[in-house]
Amino acid sequence: MDQSNHLFKFNASLFKLPKSAKLRAFGVYLAGALYAIGFWLIIDAAIFSKTVNASVVHVTFVDWIPFICSLLGMLIVNLIEKSNLFSDSNNSFLSNGTNPNAWAARVILFFGFSLLAGGLAGSFMVLILKFLLKHYSFPTLGMGVSNIVCNLCIMLSCIVLWLSQNIEDEYSYSLAL
Amino acid sequence: MNPLNKIIFLSAFLASGFLLILLSCALYNSYKPLWVILIFLLAPLPNILAQAIENSRDDFLTFNNNEGDRPSPFLEFCKSFTGFLIVSGIALPLTFYHTGLIELGSMVMSIIGGLIVYGDIIVFIWFFSENEEENDDFNF
Repeated sequence: MDQSNHLFKFNASLFKLPKSAKLRAFGVYLAGALYAIGFWLIIDAAIFSKTVNASVVHVTFVDWIPFICSLLGMLIVNLIEKSNLFSDSNNSFLSNGTNPNAWAARVILFFGFSLLAGGLAGSFMVLILKFLLKHYSFPTLGMGVSNIVCNLCIMLSCIVLWLSQNIEDEYSYSLAL
Repeated sequence: MNPLNKIIFLSAFLASGFLLILLSCALYNSYKPLWVILIFLLAPLPNILAQAIENSRDDFLTFNNNEGDRPSPFLEFCKSFTGFLIVSGIALPLTFYHTGLIELGSMVMSIIGGLIVYGDIIVFIWFFSENEEENDDFNF
């Protein structure tokens, strides 16, 4: 039975991404643009707190911690060599031993994704503990909201970069001479 | 359209872009939008660098091409950095306006001026590379 390789009943190859080099390039540009939106949102919140802020709440180092977590997570997730992740010991043809890098790559990738998710969760926690529980109204609340949107944008940028790096090139002749 | 006309029109557009940014600084007496010029001048640079490096690397004869036709990580980093710089050039005046450092008219003028400068550089590179391909008949 050739169906036994699939994990679910649906054939996962139906959901493959379209192959084109232009889509891949566009995804990479889009990832940089989303990252810039996130970056400038948190810079905007910091300058806003310094200049036109009429309240007593200010952006302190606590507001920057989720951003730093997301940044580290994005770095880790995108710096990993992806060919290590999918090399199983069962179906590797040439080396019949286990790949020693595979489990390390998976653990580091797990740390990266949990740092990304932790950044987003941390920004929600900053919004709730610092702004919502003390019943601040909107121009002050905007600093917390922009923190959340910043972390969302960095997470989206990471997802777009990951997806667009998995797009294969349409004309990928491997010139293995 | 002969190349001289192209260069004249492009330089006129470039001058109008710089004029808009400088006016946005001078009319409102706040010279913070000048950073937009720097960002949009830096924005085409990563792609030019990446192209130069990719063209100089001869991976057919050195047998180092073990990744197929896949673009190198440095090329992709340059692309995403280009996207970062373009959005930064738009987001910087927006941030200045939102935090009350510059006025609304200054923001609009500096954004439009920056986009004109960037589009002008891109169109110039495009024309230039097109001319290069046309004259590439004899020198391989």
